[in-house]
Amino acid sequence: MPVTQLSTRLPHGAAGSAPAASQPRIRIRDVTLSYGPLQIIGGVSLDIVPGETICIIGPSGCGKTTLLRMLAGLAQPTSGSVELDGAVIGGPNRSVAIVFQDYGKALLPWRTAAGNVSLALEARACPRAERPAIIRELLEKIGLGRHTEKYPAEMSGGMQQRLQIARCLAQEPKVLLMDEPFGALDAMTRQALQDEVLGLVATTGATMVFVTHDLEEAIYLGDRIVCLQPNPGRVGRIVDVRLARPRDQLLTREDPEFLRLRRELYDLIKDDHQ
Amino acid sequence: MKNFSLRKLLLGCATLVLFILVWKLVTDAKLISPIFFPGPERTYAALEKGLSGGALLTQTLETVQRMLLGWLLASFVGVFLGSLVGISKRARAFIAPTLELLRPLPASAMIPIAIAFLGFSDNMVLVVIAFGALWPMLLATIHGFAAMEPRLYEVSAVLGLSRGQVIWKLALPSAMPMILASLRLGLTISLILAVVGEMLASRAGLGQSILAASRSFRSADLFAGIVILGAVGLVGSRLLSFGERRLLRWQAVNR
Repeated sequence: MPVTQLSTRLPHGAAGSAPAASQPRIRIRDVTLSYGPLQIIGGVSLDIVPGETICIIGPSGCGKTTLLRMLAGLAQPTSGSVELDGAVIGGPNRSVAIVFQDYGKALLPWRTAAGNVSLALEARACPRAERPAIIRELLEKIGLGRHTEKYPAEMSGGMQQRLQIARCLAQEPKVLLMDEPFGALDAMTRQALQDEVLGLVATTGATMVFVTHDLEEAIYLGDRIVCLQPNPGRVGRIVDVRLARPRDQLLTREDPEFLRLRRELYDLIKDDHQ
Repeated sequence: MKNFSLRKLLLGCATLVLFILVWKLVTDAKLISPIFFPGPERTYAALEKGLSGGALLTQTLETVQRMLLGWLLASFVGVFLGSLVGISKRARAFIAPTLELLRPLPASAMIPIAIAFLGFSDNMVLVVIAFGALWPMLLATIHGFAAMEPRLYEVSAVLGLSRGQVIWKLALPSAMPMILASLRLGLTISLILAVVGEMLASRAGLGQSILAASRSFRSADLFAGIVILGAVGLVGSRLLSFGERRLLRWQAVNR
């Protein structure tokens, strides 16, 4: 597993001469974003190859979420460009799904779990007859198979976030964006969801960009970790995570490499806070 | 839960009985001349006679039909226009202030204008009802759309929902509690304007019959008409709250 991880990362270094097959899924080029005189993002460049999981960490106010919103097409850069498979992202796009942290606001309270997933299918004009099977499969995959007829308000926070992830998967996205998705969940639920998301990404081959303020979460999930620095937001460092996959909540977190990375990132972030 | 609502019903009925009793005492004591103020027995007799004789029944049906038609017209136009205005932030900014200005105009003040254009006709009354009952629905829809969770607009954009889908699948359901409350308000206004319209344009119905009864000092018939109007309003409002509870089942879950 680690070998294939390495090989998918290699073209990144040789981006210019890479053949079309290994062209980056996402290319962020010299992106800046300002609101009036206030510069939020000051020149970010990053290539993300297909199937890669990138975690973005950084102190609050460093533009993590803003960067993610640009990838989703919900915000436009002031200068520079964000490309998906070579085409500029000019607005929201069905092949880029985003999981918001505030699942309570992102779900439709008047629709059941099945109805919420169905919304994504209705949006992409999936024939009515095919929907129930797809919905059932997605909800089972994410562990909500027995709760299809429940309303979001009848579900725990972890279940609601699962539901939002299921709806994003119903989009059949190439890229899955996660904006601190587990920030509001308790530790046990968070770990369970981390493993489920890793499993989903592995089976679907989706590219994932995961924003978090939890260093350990970033190491546990990511192939690479992008540390942003604030005022204005820019890439401080990119750290490669060479940990075996599939990852394991106990073994991976006890791995000396995991601990070394945690120390390294901690020092990096600490410097930014001073 | 069931016992509780039964108790509430009994208490409500007890208050009604008490009210009728006071009514009877006041009329028996002849505090007000019986020519103007009939007792409950005389009112009931007039009610029975009117409903079995047919005149009152057809008049009631006329009024109810007028009320429902006007209300339906107002509801469709109100929610439709409200959706068009509400879905666009810009349209809201442009149009909402004008609507707020037009809204407090008493619909009965529009009757002379309506008469000038449509004459003393059933259509005139219908237009007046629709115009008067339109406002709650229109404004509730606009406000409901404006109050929709902004995150849901983002979700709709990322999922790639069309504007029609956003209206039908996100904005309308999210505005539904407000719209349903306004539908009830609109029904009351429709009933009022149906009666006023009938009185002014002398169209067949309870409004006209009440006016005629009062002019010929048939106070029992007058009160019978009023009792029926009260009953119509009550039944309409109850039916709507029943529909409201069914449509908003998800809200009961949320609490």
